[in-house]
Formats: sequence, structure tokens, C-alpha cells
Amino acid sequence: MSDALASLGRFLPELLLMGALAVVIVADLATQAWSLARSRNLLVGLTLAGLGAAFVASLGEPGGGSLFASMIADDGLLGVLRPLFALTAIFTLLFSLRAKELDGARMGEMVALLLTVTAALMWMAGSVNLVMIYLSLETVSVASYIMVGYRSSDRLSNEASLKYILFGAVSTGVMLFGLSLLYGLTGTLDLYGVRAALAAEDAGPALILVLLLVAGGIGFKIAAVPFHFWCPDVYTGASTPVTAFLSVGPKAAGFAVLIRFFYSGIAQPGADGTFAAVGGVDWQGLIIVLAVVTMTLGNVAALLQTNMKRLLAYSSIAHAGTILIGAAALSSEGIGAIVTYLVIYLFMNLGAFLVVILVHRVTGTFELEGYAGFWKRSPLLTVAMGIFLFSLMGIPPFAGFFAKLYVFAAAVEAELGWLAVVGVLNSAVAAFYYIKVLRIMAVDPGDGELPALRFSRLDGALLLALVTPNVVGILFGGALEQISEIAQRLLDLA
Amino acid sequence: MNSLLWLIPAIPGLGAAVNGLFGRHLGKRASAAIACGSVAASFLLALGFFFTRFLAEGGASARVEQSLFEWIPSMGVEWAYRLDSLSMVMTLVVTGIGLLIHIYSVGYMSHDGGFSRFFAYLNLFTFFMLNLVLGANMLLLFIGWEGVGLCSYLLIGFWFERPAAAQAGKKAFIVNRIGDAGFILAVFLTFVTFGTLDFYGVMGEIASADMQGGVLTAIGVLLFVGAAGKSAQIPLYVWLPDAMEGPTPVSALIHAATMVTAGVYMVARSGVLFSHAPAALALVATVGALTAIFAATIALFQTDIKKVLAYSTVSQLGYMFLGAGVGAFAAAIFHLMTHAFFKACLFLGSGSVIHAMEHAEHASGGHRHYTEMQDMRNMGGLLRHMPRTGWTFIVATIAIAGIPPLAGFFSKDEILWKTFEHGHFVLWGIAAAAAVMTAFYMSRQVIMTFLGDFRGGAAMEKHLHESAPSMTVPLVILAAGSVVAGFVGVPSALGGSYRLHTFLEPAIYAGGQAPPAMPHNYALEYALMALSVALAAAGIWFAWRRYRNAPTRDASLAGSGAYRLLLNKYYVDEIYDATAVNGTLRGGEGLYRLDQRVVDGAVNGSARVTMLSADLSDLSDRNVVDRAVNLVAEILGAASTRFRRLQSGLFQSYALLMLLAVVLLAGALVLWS
Repeated sequence: MSDALASLGRFLPELLLMGALAVVIVADLATQAWSLARSRNLLVGLTLAGLGAAFVASLGEPGGGSLFASMIADDGLLGVLRPLFALTAIFTLLFSLRAKELDGARMGEMVALLLTVTAALMWMAGSVNLVMIYLSLETVSVASYIMVGYRSSDRLSNEASLKYILFGAVSTGVMLFGLSLLYGLTGTLDLYGVRAALAAEDAGPALILVLLLVAGGIGFKIAAVPFHFWCPDVYTGASTPVTAFLSVGPKAAGFAVLIRFFYSGIAQPGADGTFAAVGGVDWQGLIIVLAVVTMTLGNVAALLQTNMKRLLAYSSIAHAGTILIGAAALSSEGIGAIVTYLVIYLFMNLGAFLVVILVHRVTGTFELEGYAGFWKRSPLLTVAMGIFLFSLMGIPPFAGFFAKLYVFAAAVEAELGWLAVVGVLNSAVAAFYYIKVLRIMAVDPGDGELPALRFSRLDGALLLALVTPNVVGILFGGALEQISEIAQRLLDLA
Repeated sequence: MNSLLWLIPAIPGLGAAVNGLFGRHLGKRASAAIACGSVAASFLLALGFFFTRFLAEGGASARVEQSLFEWIPSMGVEWAYRLDSLSMVMTLVVTGIGLLIHIYSVGYMSHDGGFSRFFAYLNLFTFFMLNLVLGANMLLLFIGWEGVGLCSYLLIGFWFERPAAAQAGKKAFIVNRIGDAGFILAVFLTFVTFGTLDFYGVMGEIASADMQGGVLTAIGVLLFVGAAGKSAQIPLYVWLPDAMEGPTPVSALIHAATMVTAGVYMVARSGVLFSHAPAALALVATVGALTAIFAATIALFQTDIKKVLAYSTVSQLGYMFLGAGVGAFAAAIFHLMTHAFFKACLFLGSGSVIHAMEHAEHASGGHRHYTEMQDMRNMGGLLRHMPRTGWTFIVATIAIAGIPPLAGFFSKDEILWKTFEHGHFVLWGIAAAAAVMTAFYMSRQVIMTFLGDFRGGAAMEKHLHESAPSMTVPLVILAAGSVVAGFVGVPSALGGSYRLHTFLEPAIYAGGQAPPAMPHNYALEYALMALSVALAAAGIWFAWRRYRNAPTRDASLAGSGAYRLLLNKYYVDEIYDATAVNGTLRGGEGLYRLDQRVVDGAVNGSARVTMLSADLSDLSDRNVVDRAVNLVAEILGAASTRFRRLQSGLFQSYALLMLLAVVLLAGALVLWS
């Protein structure tokens, strides 16, 4: 009991989100009679306040130690990811105000779902207990399904939601089966207990099955090949702010679970920041294969896309593959590289999606040909998109370069130089499709004389907030490494 | 004074920011003043450092270092600038010649709508280029390297309304990705091997441990892959000729004088590393010599005034790599410097010609395509109309041809001599043959452009006139440089003392030992010198005989296979398109289709599985499954055909695929363990 009470104090961001959730539900009910715009403003304002408070509360040094009888680790990794989730949710909320697809939609359920899923992401990133991992992952999934199908009158949105549910059910079911097997093998639900049991005695071939089943569940969340099939369809069907959210938030949480499960559960730290697999299965190969296949297929498939959301879907698959390189490094450095990547990825990927939203607002299309002639209509938007795409390519002087640099450096340090080579070559291929988008925006003539674009103040502020980190990020290697260093302090390594 | 070092790159960076953000509101005059002023300030600062620190006794080994902040702590990398004799020379070239080209651009771009945008790019380029040459470690050099690349694409595609310009920008971008992949891998390999990326640190370690070959060869080759991309060497040279679609001052600054020489600078900067990796060095020399002659042959019969100069640049860069490859790094930098003068002069001269041609065409009411205005077959006799442009062009031509005592003679001859002296007779033969061709195609260009009678029509000829002083004054200064720049490196055989050489060596061999000088063999050196002058003269004479009275006589060669081969640049672009480009795209498409087909196949397969399982399970189960399937099927049927591929995403097929994948992964995992 006292543990639970003490834990609550260090659970403030999540509590704030839950509090905000209660408030918006009541507010939504109380304002049914209000005009759409008025209730929308109120709800968005309340949600923004909740998310902002959670963001502020999640800053600062993590406490260390675990919460709620070793369910959740209040360690460095969670400490870094909490504000990242809150920030992603804030951007998503503001995006949804500008997305044409959500014009005229009531926001009550959307903001409630957003608050729920954000809190669940935080649980997910902190989980160090098999049941907690499953519960939080399922909470994120269920809320995501509804968000994808939010536009209930839209066929594509429904189809996407259904696919997401069916595939998600299979994946999480498979993962649950794997976790139950692991419980059977080790007799404990605590990840650190699992590690101790496996270190004491090899688990044999059964562990291989466990790893594959769990990898399926995690692969689904981070959209790694071959668990990626849902991704392009769902990204296309969901409203763009939701797509943007899915491409950053759950992906980051998925990587957190991956780090927890693989690094804390079935590996143990060795000398100078490396990890070694326990239980008799050398699973590094699994991650390496996933990384190579995911990167390559994502990039190759993206080359041929003619729809911007599908292109970004495959691009996000390719990025997941690149991040997996960091996971394959089996070192604290690798953990740091993953988190650094996720932080930078937030700004570059959300930036690209913001441009997609703004373009859709005026053209009503996600097809690439709709991007023609944007240099004439809005040089500002074209330049911003250029910065996001160059950053996604990983080209200096933009921040995306750091993301790739640290991941590749971790691989090289772990004597996986060839994997870094594959990664570098993949980045070269990726340049093809990103530059294609830019060429269309800057060079292709649009249809006839289109009017110049005017942006609202919110658009300008959002663009500025997302462009700036990509441009000046290159100067802040030291700050990034501080974040990375904090993230490396897992529960048992603090 | 040391603490002012950061200002050299920072001032143009600030200029770029101001012009980029507020350029539209500033007006042309203020835009130009900011752009030129910032580069001038950097140039003056650089001169200040040169006179106070480097010209004094022992100045060659002077070093000015400034670390601004800890940049990437985990790799021990700082944002640090270092000025030594090598980067001093480069900085003076970049800011000095850069300033002249900025000034020239004021006149050249005066009527362009994107005036301030142009100067923002140009300043940004200068900023990155200075980071490149002043960066104390490989990573900062890489930032500059990619930054100049970015500016280069932006400037090649500056007139992106022209499809060719947009295409050229894209090509430059993609080709450079390949080279840059090599560079970044070299950076990683260096860090893993040495634990540092500081140039002096790495070179010092190589020298003190006296490492040989092995990993050094790997690093050297990877670095050279990067250099071959940026400095347009075989097989990655294809982007540079196309880059001529950019405005001509850009061709002069980026694609002749500075950025494309970055590869040469990088090799010289890693001189110690390359000296300890003979195999990599041999590769550099061979590729350099082959590029020199290959590009020179293509230049022989080109008709576009800028294309000739572009291939000439590729060829001259080949010379520089040949010099570096035989271990004569200082000679390579010497040629880099003299080339910056005469090639900038030639490019700006061609720009002045194109400017005059286009103006005359407009004034006479013509509307021919811009490529016609760059076609030398439509020129002729321009010396009469634009004497300053003409004479400066002729001076620069004599310089590049290698006629003493102009700059090109000293630097090119030194490379030839070092190649011979080190026993690379075949490479020497190739380079000497390329020298004849250089003299030939440059003379051909002068004759076709400036001598004889004007071939563009009488109406147009009336309107031809010399360009404005803002354009011709830089030309005169650059021509003067082309005459005298060689005197800093007069060889001892001619009573000089290789001054540039001795100046550069402490930087090139920082941390290590310069190789001992070879015993003098003046008789041989004189003989080869005489021979190379004779070869240059022969090239000029051939061109004079052939074109003096019939400037467009090449047309009669149209039936010749060899001529067509050269005119079409050995069809290399077509071959690349057919193999590498199409191969990648087709392979990608194949993979994508396979991905889709697997899905389709799985749909059918899983449908059967579903039916079977439905039969076996009880009614309610069947209803659930059927309903789900039917719902999906309904949606599928209703959606437009455009989404056919998307519709193949039935969840059963996914599940089946996932199962398949899990089996495969299990296999991989078992094999791995």
C-alpha cells in the first residue's frame, strides 16, 4: 500500500493525463448543446492544458527505481520518452485542428482517445512486467483502432480500422502466447526475474519460439517487415493527424518495449556497456535480419509510390529498419542511438506530415501529382518540406544526419560494420524518392494559375516549431548526447 | 587575432541568412552589397591571417586553431577550425576568387527575378565551403562537403523552369549520394581505427606507428570514392557536364574553381594516410590520368561553349588527382590554385559571351532557344565586339594550354614531371597526350568564338557589345592571375625554389615526415619541359590549321563513327541509364510486384483455409468469420479500381504471410545460433 502511494507521486504525468481525460469527458457531455466551434475550442483547450501539464511534469531527472511493485520502471528510458509522447500528442492535437478530414467533426472522443493513448504509451515505455507490457500495448492498440476509424462515414477509414483491428488482434494474440510460454519457462512475470531464470538455466528451443512470437507483436507496433502489411493501408485510411501520430508515438513505444524485453529480459549487461544474450539463444541475428529486410523493402517499395501518405508509410517502415540497426548493436550506445533517432524523427516526420496536411487542405488530394507547382504557390512551404525531406534523408547540415550517425556509429562500434554499410547504401536509395517529391513541388508546373497560399498563424507557428530543430539541431550534439546518456540508464543500470 | 578565425566562415553565413530571410524586402542593391561585402570581409580577414601569421619567418608551419564548442562528445569531436598553410591557400582561393565571382554576378544576374535568392545561395555556399576547408576534423569537413553539395544542387536547378536544369540538379544529387556513401563509411572506419577524427590526430598516429596498407588502403579507397563523386572523376563524372545548366557564375565558382576541387583538397589533407597506402594512391593516380584523357577527348568536338569548359574541368581535375596519386600533393594543390584562376576566367568569359549573345538576340527580335545562344557554331568574330572578354579569354587559354611563363605551365608541368620522375611512364604518356588535346580544344574554342566572322546573322551582330565593367573587371583580374599565379611555384630547375611546395608541406605532412626529395636530374627535367611546351604548341598549331579558315568544318565529320562517339560522350549517359538506373528501378518494381503477388497468392490460399476451418467450427464461429470476410469483400467491391492493390490486403493473407515469415525467421535464427 505504501509502495502504491509512494509510486503515485512519481506517476504525475500519467495522473495528469487521466485527470484531463475525466475532465474532457464531462466537458464533452456538458457542452452537447453548444455550437460545434465553441465546444471544440473548449475541449481542445482543456486537452492542450492536460498534455502541456503532463509534458512539464515529465521533464527533469527520472527518479530511478520501480513503481507499483515492479510493474513500471521509473528509469532514464521512461524519463526521456514521456515528454516525447506528450509532445507528439500536442502536435497531433494541433494538426487535427488544421486537417481538412476532421473539419466539422466533434472532437470529444478524439481528444479523449488521444489522452488515453498518450498515457498508455507512457505505461508501455515503462513496463518491466510481462502482463503490464501486454496490457499497456493492448490499451494503445485499442485506442489506436478507434482513432483510425474515427471518420465513421468514410469507407477507407473504416476499412483501415478493420484491417488494423484484425491484424493487431493476431499480433497481440501471438505476442500474448509468447509471453505465456515465457512465463511457463521461467515461472515469473517480472522481466528481471526472467533474466535471472534464463541466466541460471538455458531454456532451449522453446525460447526461439518465444522470441519469434514476441518479435511479431513488437514488429507490428514498429511496422517492421514482415509485420508491416497493415501499415500502408492504415496510414492511407486514417485521417492525417492520426497517421502522423501512429508513425511516431506507438513506434517509439514499440522500440521501448523492444529495448525492455530484449535488453532487460533476455540479455544481461556485460563489461563496458555491452549486452549479452541469455537463455541459450543468440537473438542478435534475428534483429539484424529484421533490420536489413525492413530497411531494404521499405526503401524499395517507397520508390514506386504515387500517393504521399503511402510514400511516407514506406518511408516510416524504412526508418524503423534503420533504428533496428541500433537495437542490433547490443550495447548501451545502441539504446542511446535508438532514442536519439526517435527524438529527431519526431521533428522531421511530423514536419513532413504537417506539410501533407496543409497541402491537402488546399488541394484535397494526397496524390503526388497534387504537389506540382507548390514553389509558385508557396515557396515557404516548399522550403520547409525540403528541410524535412533532407533531414529524413539524413543529409547534413540537417538534424536527421545525427540520427543516422549515432545509429551507424553504434553498429560500427559493435563490429557490425557491414550492417552500417547496408544502412548507408539504403540511405542513398532513399534519396531517390524524397528528392522526387521535392522535384514535383519545385519544378512540375501545376494545373493552370493557382492562387498563392495563405497560412493561418497556427500553421506558421507549427512550421516554425518543427523546422527549427531540424535546422539548428546539428549544433546540439552535446545536448542530444545528454538525452541519450539518460536514456541508457535502464532500471538496473542507473 | 586567433579568436577571430570563426568569423571567416560565419560572416558569409550571416550574409546568407539575411539575404535568405529578408532579401525580397531589401532591394537588389542592398542584397548585392551584403553578399559581396560579407565575402570581402572574409577575404580581408584571411589576408590578415596570411600576412600576420603565415608570411613571417617559419610561417609555413604556423597554425591557428579555434575550438568553438564540444560538438559530439562521445566521439570526442569538437566544432573546431584550423588554419594551416594548406587551408590558408584554400581559404584565399575560396574567398578571393569567390569575391570576384560575387561581383561579376551582380552584373550577370541583374535582370533575374531571383536576384536575392541567388546571392543567398552563393553566400551559403561560401559558408559551407569555408567550413569544409577550415574544419579540423573529418566530420566538420563532411558537414561542409554535404552543405556545398546542397547549394550546388540548388544552384544547378536555379532556373528550374528549364526542365534540363531540374533534371541536372537531380542527377548531381543522386550521383553524389554514391560518392558520399563512400565518404561517410571512411569516416566510420577512421573513427573505429584511430578513435579520433581530427586530421592531425589521425595522421600523427599513422606516422608514429608507421602503419602500412591494410585498413589504410580501405579508408583511402573509400575517401577516394567520395572524392570521385564530388570532383567528377570516372565513373562518377557524369553529373558535372550537366551541371552547366546552372547560371554561369555558378559554373565558375562551384563547378570549376572551388567545390569540385574539394576532393583534391581532401586527398591532400589526408596526405600522410595516402602515402602509407600505396595501393589506394595508385588507384587515385590511375583514375586521375584516365579521367584526364577521357574527358579531354570528349571536349575535342563539343559545340556548346560551356560544355567544352565542363569537360575541360573534368580533365584538369584528373590532372590534379594524377599529381596527388603520384605523391605530389603540393603539385596537385598548386594546379588547383592556378586552375581556379584560369578556369574561373574562362567560365566568366563564356558567361560574358552568352550574356552578349542573348542580349543581342533579344534586341534583334529573335527568340531562339537558349542552347542556340551557347552554341559556338553561331558565334565567331566576337573579339572585335567584346575585346576585353576576348583578350582575357585568350590569356586564360594560353595559361591552360601550358605555354610558359603563364600559370598553367608551371603547375601542369610539375605534375607531368613528378609523374615521370616517380617512374609512372604510362600515366605520363597519357597525361602528355591529354595536354596536346587540351591545347587543341581550347584553341578551337577561341577560334570558333572570337576569331573569323560572326555567324549568328547580321541583325544580331549590330547589337553585340562588351559587357558591363562589373563583369569585365573581374575578368581582367582573373586573367592577370592566370599570368602570374604560377610564379609562386617556380621549380628549382628554372632557378626557383618551389615556394608553394615548401609552404604547403608542413600541413600536408603534419605529424609525419615528408618523403625525401629525389636527386635532381635537371637535364631530363629540361628535356621533358621542352617536350611539353612543344606538345602544347603542337596542339595550338593543329587547331589553328584546322579551324582558322573553316571554323565549323567539323560538320563534315558527321559520317565518322569515332566523331559521333566523341560528340555523344561515348554514350556513357545512355549506358548508365540502361544499366544502373533502369536496373535499380526495374529491380525495385520487381520486388514490389513480388510483394504484392505474394499477397494475392496468399489471399487465394487463405480463402481455402478459411472455408475449411469454417466448416469445422461451429455455426456462430462461422458467422463471425464470414461476416468479417463479407464486410471486407463489400468494401473491396465498392472501392474504386485504383485501390485494387490496397484491397489485396486481406487480413487472412497477412496472417498467413506473418506465419510464413515467422517460419523463415525461425530458420534464420537457428542458423545464426
